[in-house]
Amino acid sequence: MILPETSDTIVAQATPPGAGALAVLRLSGRGAFAAAAGFLRPAPKDPPHGVARLLAVRDGERLVDRAVAVFFRGPASYTGEDTVELTCHGSPYIVRTILNLAVSNGARPAAPGEFTLRAFLNGKLDLAQAEAVGQLIESGTEAAHRAALTQAEGGLSREVRAIKEELVGLLAQLEARLDDSYEEQPALELRAFARAAEAARSKAAALAAGYAAGRGIRDGLKVVISGAPNSGKSSLLNALLGCDRAMVSKQAGTTRDTLEASLEIDGFKVLFTDTAGLSARAGSALEREGMRRARRALEKADTVLLVKDSSSKETPADRGAAREAGRLAPEGARVLRLLSKADLSAKGPLPAGAFRVSARTGEGLARLRTALVAEQKKVFRDGAQAVVTSARHYSALSRAAAELALLPGKLRGKTPPLELAAEHLRGALAALAEVLGETAPEEVLAGVFSNFCVGK
Amino acid sequence: MTAYNYPEIFDVLVVGGGHAGCEAALAAARLGAKTLLLTQDLDTLAQMSCNPSIGGVGKGQLVREIDALGGEMGKIADLSMLSGHMLNTSKGAAVRSPRAQCDKKMYQLAMKRALERQPGLTLVQDEAAEVLEKGGRAAGVGTARHTVYRSKTVVLTAGTFLRGVIHVGLDSFPGGRYNHPPSDLLSKSLAGLGFRLGRLKTGTPMRLHARGIDFSKCDRQAPDAPPAPFSHFTGAITNPQLPCWITRTGAGTAGVISAALHRSPLYSGKIKSTGPRYCPSIEDKVVKFPHHGAHHLFLEPEGFATEEYYVNGLSTSLPEEVQADIVRSVAGLERAEIMRAGYAIEYDYSDPGQLDYTLETRPLPGLYMAGQVNGTTGYEEAAGQGLVAGINAARAAAGLEPLIIRRDEGYLGVMIDDLVSKGIDEPYRIFTSRAEYRLLLRADNADLRLCPRGFELGLLPARLEKNFRAYADAVRTLQAGGKPARLPPGPWTLKKARATAEIEKIYEMYVRRNQKEAEKMKKFEGLRIPPDFSYADARALPNEARHKLELHRPLTLAQAGRLPGVTPADVQLLWVLLEKRRRQRRKP
Repeated sequence: MILPETSDTIVAQATPPGAGALAVLRLSGRGAFAAAAGFLRPAPKDPPHGVARLLAVRDGERLVDRAVAVFFRGPASYTGEDTVELTCHGSPYIVRTILNLAVSNGARPAAPGEFTLRAFLNGKLDLAQAEAVGQLIESGTEAAHRAALTQAEGGLSREVRAIKEELVGLLAQLEARLDDSYEEQPALELRAFARAAEAARSKAAALAAGYAAGRGIRDGLKVVISGAPNSGKSSLLNALLGCDRAMVSKQAGTTRDTLEASLEIDGFKVLFTDTAGLSARAGSALEREGMRRARRALEKADTVLLVKDSSSKETPADRGAAREAGRLAPEGARVLRLLSKADLSAKGPLPAGAFRVSARTGEGLARLRTALVAEQKKVFRDGAQAVVTSARHYSALSRAAAELALLPGKLRGKTPPLELAAEHLRGALAALAEVLGETAPEEVLAGVFSNFCVGK
Repeated sequence: MTAYNYPEIFDVLVVGGGHAGCEAALAAARLGAKTLLLTQDLDTLAQMSCNPSIGGVGKGQLVREIDALGGEMGKIADLSMLSGHMLNTSKGAAVRSPRAQCDKKMYQLAMKRALERQPGLTLVQDEAAEVLEKGGRAAGVGTARHTVYRSKTVVLTAGTFLRGVIHVGLDSFPGGRYNHPPSDLLSKSLAGLGFRLGRLKTGTPMRLHARGIDFSKCDRQAPDAPPAPFSHFTGAITNPQLPCWITRTGAGTAGVISAALHRSPLYSGKIKSTGPRYCPSIEDKVVKFPHHGAHHLFLEPEGFATEEYYVNGLSTSLPEEVQADIVRSVAGLERAEIMRAGYAIEYDYSDPGQLDYTLETRPLPGLYMAGQVNGTTGYEEAAGQGLVAGINAARAAAGLEPLIIRRDEGYLGVMIDDLVSKGIDEPYRIFTSRAEYRLLLRADNADLRLCPRGFELGLLPARLEKNFRAYADAVRTLQAGGKPARLPPGPWTLKKARATAEIEKIYEMYVRRNQKEAEKMKKFEGLRIPPDFSYADARALPNEARHKLELHRPLTLAQAGRLPGVTPADVQLLWVLLEKRRRQRRKP
């Protein structure tokens, strides 16, 4: 375990590195105000809390930049410590100079995630929020930012807590009967109980299912372009990107290695992977290696664009490529069928779910782009929905759903094994507690006592 | 008056002769400690002040555990049993629990005989007035009659006697039990020693004369035939068995109670302390569960040789004439005669957060506490704590390692850890819901869980050890589908091994999961929090958690994690802080 030092002042750029119009730098710690006062002019004495002021950044007498500075007094700050946030111009040179100034005035460059850790150590964040904030820092695109924000504000916590409360109520019903020394409680209404448990299960499962979409938002959607040799995959990539990223030629097998490029569509990050054509013939060692890499890319795809040349008849290679895509793409991945080179072929009837596209004329590309991020958009359609973006939360929610799926089997027969049903409910609650970062066995007893008249 | 110094110095001095005190004294003396049991009244040893029954869900498991460690309660309950029942037979083995009504006088006399025949145990009737302290440790007890008994350790089992006040209607008077004086001096002595004391409330129903009960209007609750004994060492129950009777509150009951609520010490605000939510008085039931309709009542005989019946479910502190009206509103009790009125009692308890896992108190080393004085209710809970406190006092006096039972080893461990870790805000009763490893803690495997400790301690007869070991082997063999070897003669038989192996097989998958979790927890149990750890400096912790930790001062990281209001994140953080402190200390 890494043991952090928490008594000093740290500084770091809060916006992603690289050139941008603006950059935000953050100082946090006991000496944050003093460090900032070392290079801001006029030097702020006792600055008001949370008020933005335009100040000069000076390295000695030299003017470095004009920056907006906001001072937050702990504990009313993100980290819970005294914090200064500086918005300066985004040139890497300016940013580096200001960081150096902060360090020479007593701050230390922060390690990745250290602000969040401090916020966490100072009791400003619960576990679920802390993770979301970590992701907030990483998120590159607008949509990822939105998903992280919803979670940081407790969207996920709120939905998980609602499921938890439902389960606590159900468990109390079981516990009241298991601990009933005088066998006074009326028999459990098994069907209603099983229905309520199923409702909770489906809620947990739905949250978990959002993971694929949620992950796409954070890490970018992985789209693999696949198909028979010379079906026009690389031309399609170039057309989507609007630049000549991939080398193209009329010769089959031009693309040997896989090639990646990213694009932002409606605020969502999409990572395209162009792959070597899949052919049944064993070609050169180089071709075989290209196909091996193409297959590996398919195994990690969120979406597969299966490209077929619409100007020629379906070949065994086309059929082989379709088979390979179906076999290798992970469960839940979408396979979109693309009929390429539309400008060269007669317009016939389009198979259901297929897209007719032309790299040359741009036909069908807009429709394809929209379709690519449709799933991600759905997640946001109803406003601030909880989105599961962390693998840890996904596994906890899946586990809860799996435990609840085992309940119905324990609620059957003349003498249903209620103690085993309780065991699964407890398992589900423990899994949800991992997301919420809290444990609550006492709540169950409180539920028993407030709803049941249990004798001595 | 000048004090008389009793010439001997005892290893263990037990104050109180209730269920906790009797087990503590017997265990200590059996371990070879020179033991004194001091009680106000030798005629009320092991008295069942409330219902005439032992066991119940969770409680039955406790009795089996006490027995597996060489305690007395199970054997005495078997000797005096008058109506034995196995509970939860329609549910799984994990929650199946024995309970029995016992002859109260027979129970007391059998326990008194066990105490009197125990070598190394002295019984004295006198009231403890003061716990003596010397050099920061408990050094003995001064009595109301000015005798000083010196001892290496003291086990305090004061029950409900510390500043006890009895309420019947709006009348109240001092008492530790009806017609028995309270121990006010001892309460003052504890406060003077710096103990945090609180106040709790409990109650008991009226007792009726059998001739006023129309049993034809009640449902007969037949005893099991034959009833299962509590003790692993009882061959069979030989007493004749009596039925209990079930009736229910009538249409008029709620009305009688509602009309008299202004005369209830509970509802007039006279009693301010908290009673148990799970054992509400009838006035509580009527007020809190108005839609419940009829409440079940159980009529339980108090003994073979008495006509008195206990009315389980009618606990009340309303005035006596209202109690009569309540009783007569019940089917079958229209002509009932109340022999003893129900009442409520308020008493001091000592915050169990001041205890160590051994039941030794942290404010005064050498002083142990067990039973209701720790804020629990129930004979079984008291006896279990008495046994553990007696064992640990005797072992401490002999300079031996203490006995600590973990949560995955027994309800004894669950109870003591709950008390120590979380403290209480109402009288504490054991429930199987409190056990996270419920499927491990069954009545049928109490012996497999705890008899090895009982033999090791020397509280179980050594001659039976071979029989037990062979039995444990047989269960394992049968579980694996093998053919077990014959067992040496003794209480453990192949028939029982087969039954237990069957249960183990049903739960196998779950038991493994429970064990895995328990194993994980064990790691955190090993992370002790130094007693001088400063929570005030641990400002990273949220206020609520810091407050709780400061108050309870958990002994281990695992215990910290079990405090309500302390989250896993807090524990992680605490872990970081402890690790940081450890590394800082290691630096030269």
